[in-house]
Amino acid sequence: MSTDTQLIDWRDKALQFEQQINQTVIGLQPAVRNIVLAVFARGHVLLEGNVGVGKTTLLRAVAQGLGGDYQRIEGTIDLMPADLIYYTYLNSEGRPCVDPGPLLKHGDTLATFFFNEINRARPQVHALLLRAMAERSINAFNRDYYFPHIQVFADRNRVEKEETFELPAAAKDRFMMEINIDMPGSDTVLDELMFNPRFHDTDQLIGGVTNSGIYYQLNELAQTVQQRIQTSPKLHTYALALWKATHQPQQYGVQLTDVEMPQLLMAGASPRGMSYLIRAAKTRAWLERRDHVLPEDLQAVFPVCMTHRLFLNPMYAYRKEQLLPELIKGILNQVAAP
Amino acid sequence: MRLALILVLSLLGCSGSIDEPVGATGRSPLLVKTPRPFGYVIGDEIPQRIIIETRSGISLQTGSLPAKGQISRWLNLNQVTVKQTGRRYQIDLLYQVFYAPLEVKPLTLPGFTVQLSQGEKSISQNVPAWTFTLSPLRELVVRQTEQGEYMRPDSPPSLLANTQALYGLVASLTVAALIAAYLGYLYGCFPNMLRRTLFKRALRKLAGLSKADMEQALTIVHHALNSLNGQPLFSNQLSEFYRRNPQYLQVSSQLDCFFNYSNRYFFSDGMIAVAQDLQQLRDLCEQCRKIERGSQ
Repeated sequence: MSTDTQLIDWRDKALQFEQQINQTVIGLQPAVRNIVLAVFARGHVLLEGNVGVGKTTLLRAVAQGLGGDYQRIEGTIDLMPADLIYYTYLNSEGRPCVDPGPLLKHGDTLATFFFNEINRARPQVHALLLRAMAERSINAFNRDYYFPHIQVFADRNRVEKEETFELPAAAKDRFMMEINIDMPGSDTVLDELMFNPRFHDTDQLIGGVTNSGIYYQLNELAQTVQQRIQTSPKLHTYALALWKATHQPQQYGVQLTDVEMPQLLMAGASPRGMSYLIRAAKTRAWLERRDHVLPEDLQAVFPVCMTHRLFLNPMYAYRKEQLLPELIKGILNQVAAP
Repeated sequence: MRLALILVLSLLGCSGSIDEPVGATGRSPLLVKTPRPFGYVIGDEIPQRIIIETRSGISLQTGSLPAKGQISRWLNLNQVTVKQTGRRYQIDLLYQVFYAPLEVKPLTLPGFTVQLSQGEKSISQNVPAWTFTLSPLRELVVRQTEQGEYMRPDSPPSLLANTQALYGLVASLTVAALIAAYLGYLYGCFPNMLRRTLFKRALRKLAGLSKADMEQALTIVHHALNSLNGQPLFSNQLSEFYRRNPQYLQVSSQLDCFFNYSNRYFFSDGMIAVAQDLQQLRDLCEQCRKIERGSQ
């Protein structure tokens, strides 16, 4: 079978997978599309949203649909890195035992690692996760463990700020996307969520998702997609302009109200961030049945890939909820292609 | 300045006798210079210059000079100037007469005494009274003549030529208006006017291009559309574009084709432009030009 046919087959599977998730978690189509892009581009995902809007359900459904060994951990203030690596207990014969923790339990077949409420964990835990995410390996019991298939899903709610630790910039940068989950807007969906008993029992709902068993082939597939989808020199120019605009938006005519533009940003997008952006854009082009990336692919993934990588000056940080989306929109609206 | 002029004129008109010292011997330190003693009318100013040569150590008591202001019912002293150059004092007095005589009448500028002092001693020098004649402005009886009123105002002065100034004003106002318009253009005050000629300019640029310059041609049309939209326009934003510019809905299929073509040309491989593509591009531009002109 030629690579092109394989890619077409895989695209169908991917779209089918997306459809299935959309049926399980309704009213979150944009978020589901972004998660599917991140999964097929092999990037980690951070979900942010209010409580009870379906973040955890969505991630569990995705993990269930993809198959592969799944682990989850809840972030708490007293969680320490060691808790991820091993746990100690007394067995039934009264002897102390040390067993691998959530990260090591499945060894190199660990697929989806779901970190719930990541901002409740301490910076030490974030640091451990940094390495696991970037290098897909950790050091424990005097040796390195590798997780070639690991994909980290993390979520945090934006309601509470007490007893939470803001994720350091380096940790945020390792996530391919930060996806905001908002309440579904349509009344029909809200009505369905309220009254349809199918959505009341989450476990049963997740159990209904068919395990496609595609997970362990994703790395290879992602590599093929990245190689096969073409980018033209014009697109390179456009992406470069977008990148520069995240550093000096004022040079591209971006103007926000009540903001001294040259003082707005402390840091723009990183090279890693831009490479993630291009990976996601290529994956989107593939899902949209194209063999080349268009500016609209970049535009579609730009907000989710970039918003968490732009750091505002402390002077403006308190308005970041309002300024960052405006800035992203301004950049997309000002940079022309060709 | 005016005073100086009057002084000079008056002194030029002085009679020969003023060159002689008044009522004094050659050694007299006091010299009074006055102008002609006749031909004055009401309102005239009469200058009088007094020059005093003194020995060293002698100084003039300025308090002994007549005070500025009204001297008598018909005489005013308008100005008193004392200038000292070494041992020589030059006192300039400027009188003005307000006497209205019925016929030529002799009048007298009053004399006065100038005090000079040396230490505690003081010396007096008399400035003599000076007589002159004052003439009436008109006859005693006001006559009626055949030509009209005997009393009449002066002919109004002729106006100074101001055509040059007018031309200058018009020219500078024109230049100012042009500069203001250019400044407005630079500041983007005429967006509507510019937006109404977007495709006209694009067509002009397209005219000189061949199919080898397809990239440039596409860029020109993109720029025109971007300027019309106020921000870069991408194919996925077309619906929003039509909402704001509903008149362009009639070329929607052509715009779709244009964006598809442009996407393929710029972002995928293996597109070879043919002459027909350029013609289509021109057609699209023509259509848009008609829409922006309002003729379609």
